[in-house]
Amino acid sequence: MNIQSRLADEGAGSFAASAGPIEQARYACALGALASVIAIEGAIPITHCGPGCATKQFHALSGISGYQGGEFHVPSTNIGNKEVIFGGVGRLDELISSTLQVMEAELYVVQSGCIPGLVGDDVANVVQSYRRRGVPIVFAETLGYRGTNFIGHETVVRAILDQYVAERAGANPETRKGLVNVWSLLPYQNPFWRGDLAEIRRILEGVGLEVNILFGPASEGLSEWRAIPSAELNLVLSPWLGLATARRLEDVYGQPFLHRPAIPIGARATAAFLRQVGDAVGADPARVEHFIKREERDYYRYLRDFAHFYAGCASQYRLPSEINIVSESAYALAIAKFFVGDLGLNPGVIVVTENPPESERETIRAAFRDLAPGVDGEPTFESDGHRAHELIAKHARVGEFPIVFGSTWEAAVAGEIGAPLVEISYPTTDEVVLARSYVGYRGALQLLERAYTTVVRQSTEENPEAAAL
Amino acid sequence: MAINLRTPQAETREQRLGTITQWEGSAQDLARDSAFTYGCGRDCGEGGRRLCELSSPYSQASMCAEQIAVTNATVIKDAVVIQHSPIGCASSQSFTSRYSRDLAARRGWKPEDPKSICTNLGERDMVFGGVERLAATIREAYERHRPRVIFVATSCATGIIGDDVDGTARQLEDEIGIPVVPLHCEGFKSRHWSSGWDVIEHGILRRLVPHRPNDKRDDLLNVIHLGGPDVFSPLVNPLGLSVNLVMGGNSLERLADLSTAAATVTMCFVLSYLATGLEQEYGVPEIRAPLPYGLAATDNWLRDIARVTKRESLVEAVIASERARIAPELDRLRAALKGKKGFVAAGAAFAHGLVADLRELGVAVDDVFSFHHDPSTDSRDAEQDSLGHLVQTTGDISHFTVSPDQHFQAHAALKRARPDFVICRHSGSMAILAGRMGIPVLPIFYSNDGLGYEGLLTIGRAILRVLPRRRFYEDVAAHSRFPYQQWWLKETNPYALAAGDAA
Repeated sequence: MNIQSRLADEGAGSFAASAGPIEQARYACALGALASVIAIEGAIPITHCGPGCATKQFHALSGISGYQGGEFHVPSTNIGNKEVIFGGVGRLDELISSTLQVMEAELYVVQSGCIPGLVGDDVANVVQSYRRRGVPIVFAETLGYRGTNFIGHETVVRAILDQYVAERAGANPETRKGLVNVWSLLPYQNPFWRGDLAEIRRILEGVGLEVNILFGPASEGLSEWRAIPSAELNLVLSPWLGLATARRLEDVYGQPFLHRPAIPIGARATAAFLRQVGDAVGADPARVEHFIKREERDYYRYLRDFAHFYAGCASQYRLPSEINIVSESAYALAIAKFFVGDLGLNPGVIVVTENPPESERETIRAAFRDLAPGVDGEPTFESDGHRAHELIAKHARVGEFPIVFGSTWEAAVAGEIGAPLVEISYPTTDEVVLARSYVGYRGALQLLERAYTTVVRQSTEENPEAAAL
Repeated sequence: MAINLRTPQAETREQRLGTITQWEGSAQDLARDSAFTYGCGRDCGEGGRRLCELSSPYSQASMCAEQIAVTNATVIKDAVVIQHSPIGCASSQSFTSRYSRDLAARRGWKPEDPKSICTNLGERDMVFGGVERLAATIREAYERHRPRVIFVATSCATGIIGDDVDGTARQLEDEIGIPVVPLHCEGFKSRHWSSGWDVIEHGILRRLVPHRPNDKRDDLLNVIHLGGPDVFSPLVNPLGLSVNLVMGGNSLERLADLSTAAATVTMCFVLSYLATGLEQEYGVPEIRAPLPYGLAATDNWLRDIARVTKRESLVEAVIASERARIAPELDRLRAALKGKKGFVAAGAAFAHGLVADLRELGVAVDDVFSFHHDPSTDSRDAEQDSLGHLVQTTGDISHFTVSPDQHFQAHAALKRARPDFVICRHSGSMAILAGRMGIPVLPIFYSNDGLGYEGLLTIGRAILRVLPRRRFYEDVAAHSRFPYQQWWLKETNPYALAAGDAA
C-alpha cells in the first residue's frame, strides 16, 4: 500500500479507527467533500474513484437531503478492472487533460477515492505535472476509508489554501481592515447551509464588516478565496470544523482567529456574537449597536406576536417541554442553546452524530454547559442510529412533552415517544429546502415557524378530537 | 452458455452478454451488428459487422453495480443488508430508505425504515483486513433485528484487500442459523451498474429459492419487475392467473414460491437473469415474447402467456375487452400529443419499450439515449432481441446513443434532437439536464408505468401533465449555464471526443 501525498502533508491526526458498525448513516465519506468543491462557484472536482462513488456521495448529500440540487456533472475516472490491476494514473492523466478541453473552471480540485489509495496510484505526481504548466489545479487526497466528509472537507480546504490561494497571495499579503473569513457549516451536509451562510453574511455586513463567506450562493466564489490571506480575522463558527484551517492560517499568515462554537440563533445570542466579533476587529461600536437595535426591533415585534401562541392562545396543543436532538454538533449546539436558553425547554437526549476527532470532544462537551444559566446539556457522541434511538426511547421522562430535532431517521423513534419531529440534520428527506435559514435573527423566526407548525400538525393528526374543539 | 450458480460470484454482463456502454449510430445498425456478433436473430441480414464499442477520454461520474444490488436486497422484507465497506458506500442508505418507504405505501405495506448496516471500515482495516469487523457486524445485525436472512455486500475496498467474505458468511451462517448471502458487487468489476441486478438475482437463485417439485402450481405466474405498483394482476387475473411479483420489494415467501410457478415473465430483459435461471434450474418456462409496450406487443405478450400456461381459450376475450376499454382515452391522448417529438433516455430494453409506447401514442421518436446495450440475453433466444423487434415493428431510430448516463453526451444529444419533451429513467443526471436546457421532462421512477394497455394511458397523461412546465424550465435555462467550454455547448455529436472508429 502506498498512501502518500507530495503536495500536502496531511497532518491531521483524525484518521483513527472508525466508529464501529453504522446503521442509518449520518455522513458521507471523505470523498463526499466533493460537495464542498461544488459549493464554491467556479470550482470543479475531478474525481479519481470507482464508477458510483461520486454520484452516490452527492446524491445522498444533496439530491435526497433537502432536495438541494447543485451542479453535478463531475468528471470521474470511473475506475474499472484494468486500472485496479495495472494502476490508474494513465487514465487520470487522460481525464484531466480532456476535462481541460471540455469543461470551463477557475479551479480544478482532483480528489482520490479508496481505490487509488489501495492500489498505490501516485496521483500527486500527475497533478503536479499540470501545476507546472500553470493549470489552476490542486490535489486533495480524500480516500473514503480515511474518514468522513467533515475530514474530507478539511483536506479539500487545506489543499486549496496551500496549492491555490498561497500561490496567488504572495509572501506578505496586505491586510484589509474589517475583512473576515468565515468557517462554519459543512456545505450540503447541513441542509440549511445556503440560507444560513447568507444570514451570517448579512449580519456581519450589517455591523460594517467585509465577509469572505466562501461557499454557496451568498459567496462571490474564488475571488473570496484569493482574498483569504488579506483578512483581519478568521471566524470559526462551529464546534470544531474549521479549527484546523484557522490554526493553519494563523501559522502561515499570522491571522488571529476567533472560535465561537455556537452559531447564534435568536436575538440574545446574535447580539452577543456581533459584539464579540466587532470587538475582535475593532469595528465601530456605534455601528454595531445601531444594527443590533434595528434588528431587535423587528425580531421582538415578531416574538411579541408569537407570544400569543406560546402563551397558550390555542392551549389544546401540547407545547413541547423537553428538547431531544440528533444532529452534527454545529446544529445540535446552536439549537439546544436557542430552545433551552431562549424558549425555556429542558434538555433531553442530545446525540452528536459526526464522530468528531477525539481531540475536540472536550471542547464540544464544554460548549453544551450552561445552555441556560445553571442548565447543562450532556451530549453523547454516537454515529449509529440504532443506539441513538435506544438512548432517546429509554430516556426517563416524567411529565415532559418531548420534541425531537433530528434527521429523517428519527421519524420512527419520535413516533415511539409521541414527539413531533423537526428535520434539521442529514439526511433530511422530508423537507424541500431552498433559501430557508434557521440562524441569526431572521433564521430564528423561521425555525420557530417550522418547529411550531410541526407541533400543531402533529397534535392535529394524533388528537383529532382536541383539534376540533 | 448456462448461468453458473456453482460460484458465489455472478459473471458480469460484459462476460455473459457482451454488454457495451458506448456506441453511436442508428438503431437498425446497432440491432444488426449485435445480431451479427452475438447470434443471428431477426436482423442477421446483409452487411452486418462486429459490434464496435467507442471509448471517450472524458467521462463523468456514473453509477455502480453495488448500488443496484444493495438497494434491491434492502427492500426484501425480513432481511438485513450489511455493506462491508467504508462509510461512503452506505451513503445510499438514506435514499434506499426513502424508496423503501414509498414503495411500501404504494404496495399497501407498513412503511418502515429498511435495515442496513455498514461495517464502516477505516484505514486500519485496509491494512489488517476487515473480516473480524464483518463477523461482529453480522452478529450485531442478528441481535438487533432477528432477520430471516442477512445479505453481505462487498465493496471496491474489500474486493481489493481480499477479505474472505464467503468464508466469513459461511462461518456466521453456521453460528446464527439463518442464510448469510454474499453479494459480490465491487463497483470496479463491471462497466455497467445493471450487473448489480445479476448479483442480487444470483444470490436469490442460489440461496432463497428452494426446489419444491411437489408444490407446482399451474395458475401462478412469476413477474420479475424493477419495482413499483402491481399493474400486472389486472392484466392476467382474467386469465385465471395469480401474480407472484418479485424484485423491487418482496417477501421471502414470494421468493420461495418462484420455483413452483407455471411460468415467468420479466418486465425488462435487463433483469432476465433470474427468469433464465428459474427455467434452467427448475424448468419454469420463461416467456420470451417481446415486452408488452404498445397495443400489438401487449396482445402478443398475453397470447404467449396464455399459450405457455394453456389458457388460450380465454385470451382473445381479454384482449378485446381491454382494447375497447382504453380506446376512447387513447384517442384523446393521441389527438393531444399529435405532432410532438419525444426523446427517450433509459436502460436498454426499458428504453426500447418506452419508444414503442410513445410511437403508439403518435409521438415522433428519432432520438434515444440508452444507458447500456445488451447485444444478447441469457436465454440466447432471438425472441428477446427487443431492439430488433422495435425496429422491425415501428421503424428505425436515426440517433441511437449508448452512454452510461454521461451528462456531457446527453447535452449534445439533446442539442441535436431539440425534442418537445424528454422521458427518462435514472433521473439524477438526465432529468435535471433536460429541465435546465428548457425541455419538459417526465422522469419515470416506477418503471411499470408504461406497461400494457393501461400503461399507454398512464404515460400519455403524464406527458400532458409535464408539457406546460416548459414555462418554468425555459425561464431557468435562460438564467443559468453549464460550465462547458463554448465549443462543447454547441456540439451535437455525443461522441465528438471519442477515439476509434465511430459507428
